[in-house]
Amino acid sequence: MEPSADPPVAESVADGVTRPLDPRVIPLDRLAGYILTASLSAILALATLVTWIAADSWWVPTALTVAWPLLTAGLLWLSYAWPGIDYRYHTYCVDERGIEIRHGVFWRSVENVPRSRVQHIDVSQGPLERRFGLGKLSIYTAGTEYALVALRGLTHERALRIRDHLLPGESQDAV
Amino acid sequence: MPSDQRLHPSSFVFAVAGHLKNFLVPGLVVLFTAGVSGADWQVWTMAGIIPLAGFGLIRSLSYRYRLDDSELVVRTGFVFRNERHIPYARIQNVEVIQNVFHRLLGVVEVKIETGATNEDEARLQVVSVRAHQEIRDRVFAHRTEPLRAEAAAPGDGTIILTLPARELLLSGLIANRSAVVIAAAFGVVWELGLFDFFFTWTFGDKLTGRDIAAQVARAIAGRGLPSPWYLSLAAGTMLALFAGVTVISMVWAYVRLYGFTLRRVGDDLLAEFGLFTRIATTIPLRRIQTLTVFEGPLYRFFARASVKVETAGGEAADERVSRREPLVPIIGRIHLQQFLQQVLPDIDATRAEWRPAETRAVRREFRQTTVIAIVVTSFFVVMLKFWSLLLLMLLLFLARVHARRYVASLGWALVDNAVLFRRGWMWRRFTAARFSKMQAVALHQSPFDRRYGMARVQVDTAGANDGSDAVYIPYLSSATARALHDRLAAEASRTSFEW
Repeated sequence: MEPSADPPVAESVADGVTRPLDPRVIPLDRLAGYILTASLSAILALATLVTWIAADSWWVPTALTVAWPLLTAGLLWLSYAWPGIDYRYHTYCVDERGIEIRHGVFWRSVENVPRSRVQHIDVSQGPLERRFGLGKLSIYTAGTEYALVALRGLTHERALRIRDHLLPGESQDAV
Repeated sequence: MPSDQRLHPSSFVFAVAGHLKNFLVPGLVVLFTAGVSGADWQVWTMAGIIPLAGFGLIRSLSYRYRLDDSELVVRTGFVFRNERHIPYARIQNVEVIQNVFHRLLGVVEVKIETGATNEDEARLQVVSVRAHQEIRDRVFAHRTEPLRAEAAAPGDGTIILTLPARELLLSGLIANRSAVVIAAAFGVVWELGLFDFFFTWTFGDKLTGRDIAAQVARAIAGRGLPSPWYLSLAAGTMLALFAGVTVISMVWAYVRLYGFTLRRVGDDLLAEFGLFTRIATTIPLRRIQTLTVFEGPLYRFFARASVKVETAGGEAADERVSRREPLVPIIGRIHLQQFLQQVLPDIDATRAEWRPAETRAVRREFRQTTVIAIVVTSFFVVMLKFWSLLLLMLLLFLARVHARRYVASLGWALVDNAVLFRRGWMWRRFTAARFSKMQAVALHQSPFDRRYGMARVQVDTAGANDGSDAVYIPYLSSATARALHDRLAAEASRTSFEW
């Protein structure tokens, strides 16, 4: 894709460069992972306590007592390591034709949505994402399996610019 | 100023009957079981029908519609009033249903669909034939297209396909899906011993259905063969049952599809069929997202095929012509090419240069099927003992044949406006998806794919609810897959999408 002759105010997002997500998505995902781990761990701890008090058998509470620290440690490690690994395999590329998203560590996918197929787009920000200044782009198509194509881990500002680029109206390219 | 119109005076009958119909089956069950067990509180639960029927009655009596200059206005409700405006320009389809009772009273049920929702935008149950004529005239008076299928009088347009009685019966014979259901139901009844009475009455001794099942199980477990009398009785029953179900299926196909005519009127396909309940349904050609030709073993035996199209927006107005049903239940294979040319004039599948899948994939497919074979065999190990080895050998042989044939059956092609995909050797499918109808293109690589340097390419379209009819090409080399993915993405972005 050749760059457009008249540059818009800011440099266009449709540069055809394959980009990684914003690196802040790693601490964000870690934090989310820790929160999830803490909740699961708490539930498991409670269950262990209840079985110690209430269960007739001895092996169920024992097994739970052994499993609890192991599971918690495993989940903690996963919460720490996984976001970095996932980040390495998560890229996107916006050009004049549309957007292409690559993701997946073991099962890899490349998803391509042409601009002309975008029905509408949401840019959303959860409470954690807002703290990290990140946003999520949700692209809706008329398709079935890809009725919703989501891209998270963008800076909120960039998500808005990609939205403006993908939505028709800005520069309706001839088809 | 056009005035409000009421529905036909007989409307409330159909409105109430519609609710009664829903209660028919549970009602019969309740009455039957109550009659046996004498518990009459269950009967009282059936009183729930009264408010529902009353609701239908009120809705029917309060229903008003008005044909304005540019829109249809529908008002319902006495207490909670609702007014709906449907611009004529947005109406995709006016569907007409006329069953036997409708015919007796000279009325029709009219369903109005727009592309926007999956439900009928308006359902006029019921209006007189003359009122329907007026609605049709009003709705289609504003169409710029010269001729619309809905506005067409019978006989307009070119006939693409008619199905004579022989074809209808054949389609019933081939698409004998109900056989599975009935056979399963029969099996349950049999095992519950509900035929005991019948058997005792017929044969005069304690010859029960369960006994036969038990005998067979015992024989399999190696505890002696059942008597030939038992065997022939069981086999005979199954055969008679199968024949009966097949005949029912054929008669049903004949009744349901009676007088099947597919016509092309302007830019629409118009299908009309039905002996007692006449159904007329319209599919605008431009709304076809994908087209799939299906040839199962029986279809191929009779040199026939069925054709299904996926349309987007606006569910087909009646569950009897839902999207899962084929557009053409049966067509001779010799007519297929001509038919496709008429339905997809811009796609020339005859000139397609088919590209194969990777032949290396035979090994992968074989391995996958081997896993299934081992799992299946393991279920029978206890019962079959050493004979399970024989079963495993047989399954592995089948897996071998399947792997080679399946990979050979895979093929894809790019033609001027569409991507074509074929797969399956027993149940063959051919699917065409226009570039302009592709919503997203994806490339997938599982860990196994990566090990063999392969990938799959998926094309997503609107209304692709039945996954088996989607374009999802497996076992491509990574380079081929990447090139195909990029090409498809480019073609999709070059065209604009219209519903």
